[in-house]
Amino acid sequence: MGNNGLTIHIREMKKIYRIGKIAVPALIGVDLDIASGEFVAIMGPSGSGKSTLMNIIGALDIPTSGKYFLDDVDVGKLNDNELAIIRNKKVGFVFQTFNLLSRENVFGNVELPLIYAKERIRNKKQKILDAIESVGLTDWIRHRPNELSGGQKQRVAIARALVNNPSIILADEPTGNLDSRTGEEIIGIFQKLNKAGKTIIIVTHEMDIAEHTQRTIFLRDGVISGQEDVTEQLDAEEILKKMPRLEDKL
Amino acid sequence: MRRLTENIRIAFHSLLLNKSRSFLTMLGIIIGVGAVVAMLSIGAGAQESVISSVQDIGSNLIMITPGNNEEEGQYGPPVMSAGDTAELDIDDVKAIKRDATLITEVAPVVMGAGVVSYMNKNTQPQIFASSENGRSIYNMNIEKGKFYSRSAVSSSSNVVVLGQTVVKKLFGKIDPIGKIVKINGHNFKVIGTLESRGTDSFGNDQDNSISIPVTTAQNKLFGSDSYTMILAQSINEEQIHAASGEIEDILRKSRNIRFGEKNDFTVQNQTQLLDVVSNITNIFTVVIAGIASISLLVGGIGIMNIMLVSVTERTREIGIRKAIGAKNRDILIQFLVESIVLSITGGILGILFATLIATIINSFTVLETSINAFPIIIALSFSTVVGLFFGIYPAMRAARLNPIDALRHE
Repeated sequence: MGNNGLTIHIREMKKIYRIGKIAVPALIGVDLDIASGEFVAIMGPSGSGKSTLMNIIGALDIPTSGKYFLDDVDVGKLNDNELAIIRNKKVGFVFQTFNLLSRENVFGNVELPLIYAKERIRNKKQKILDAIESVGLTDWIRHRPNELSGGQKQRVAIARALVNNPSIILADEPTGNLDSRTGEEIIGIFQKLNKAGKTIIIVTHEMDIAEHTQRTIFLRDGVISGQEDVTEQLDAEEILKKMPRLEDKL
Repeated sequence: MRRLTENIRIAFHSLLLNKSRSFLTMLGIIIGVGAVVAMLSIGAGAQESVISSVQDIGSNLIMITPGNNEEEGQYGPPVMSAGDTAELDIDDVKAIKRDATLITEVAPVVMGAGVVSYMNKNTQPQIFASSENGRSIYNMNIEKGKFYSRSAVSSSSNVVVLGQTVVKKLFGKIDPIGKIVKINGHNFKVIGTLESRGTDSFGNDQDNSISIPVTTAQNKLFGSDSYTMILAQSINEEQIHAASGEIEDILRKSRNIRFGEKNDFTVQNQTQLLDVVSNITNIFTVVIAGIASISLLVGGIGIMNIMLVSVTERTREIGIRKAIGAKNRDILIQFLVESIVLSITGGILGILFATLIATIINSFTVLETSINAFPIIIALSFSTVVGLFFGIYPAMRAARLNPIDALRHE
């Protein structure tokens, strides 16, 4: 389909919301390519179209016009059911407010994407346990979200995003509700996953979060206003070593 | 299947999370189903007791009564009125005996009231006066002694057979056989006692009765030569309608009723009585079904209401599930299963509640109850339908939520 092996291929993408008779443009012509295995940050002030772009990349919404290919699939032409399948198979969401199901324990939350997978999944339990182990929560498997700290909740969300082995992990302000040390830890997990080959897109408005990625895309007034490769990528593991623990200050 | 059990698990989970709310929601269904099943069990119990008492008397019994009951719109035991000219008498019995081919036995009956006394005690039982074969036609059994004979009937003997209630009232533990009692001032010799028959379907004590020869009753007690009714027995149950028709033809001929004129007597059989009872029961069932549908409607609206609240409360959960790959159909089924689980659980609790009520009614009142599979199956399927019907709108609301808006919902 001429996307040159790219995971994400966006051309001339527009999104116009209609509120009554008024047309409100959110995106007015976005071109964006993200290759497999990249770690990208999308930055922009509020009102820049950041959320709209993220929703479309995450197959929660479709563009008004233009092209959006995710792994060779023309997402812009899909119906509700097909979009749900894309979200289930190809996208792993991580939200600022974690968005865990409070009634399910860690295992149940991580299991969720597999419940909605259409086909029968082999080694389902092992997959869930592996995902939980990769975020270091093996000891917390039977705990409910309200028994976990913010950082732990976000780890559960990452495990849930990973479990179905998606093409992209899409994180919307993943450190926004966390203190700086915990935030750094979460970014560390993303860096580790990226090193293992995962494609990760983080939407953020914090520059120092963006500096942990490989490339930053700036969005302004519905268009991409600039892009730059991060020359000196910050290493979360190094920073954490230098960072004092909160408990140490007491 | 795996998805369904998962959905049922989720449904129970969320219902248990709001225990008191779930219970209050189910209350409408519980009361509706409970009331219906309980009332139907009373209806079924009444019907069963009527059927069994009819079968006690004998299902091939035919009753001939004076006057045209159909015209007067009465059913059941005859009521004699003063101006009744079309009386039944010995000629009618003779005509039936002579001409009927589908009849095995015919017996005249005179019924009346009287005062029976022994020593200083007295009581007022029903007097059932008949001929010697009245006992077998009416399925009365002798407990002690004997029933009056043909010769006692032809000679208008002063002999009496007592029912159990009368025995108890007048004699207590004393053996009544051979004792002399007074009936309306006349001396009668007690020659036998009847086995207990209990109460009939109208609640009358059938043991509060005595039986004397019909001729004695006519000549000495009531001074009349007419009968209250004539009982006949068909050769078998299948021939009962034919036998009734035959009697009608014989009586019309012997009583000189011309073609086109109405009968001045009524021939009834037990199956007709059963038809009447089942008619009444059917009306009862329709009324209950009406009440049931109203209460299930109210219960269903309650469920819809709570499910709408639940959808609003769990908008964010719906958003999360959709973001993770749940299709509209998955969400629809999840909420539909929840409302069905709610209504079926209500239905089951309602049936348990009804069983309890029926047991209480059975043991503390004269009413008999009978719970059978029919109302239970109906109640369960109706509550499922209610859950499905009233759950579909909230579930569709949930399924149609836009995932982006749902995720943003606080």
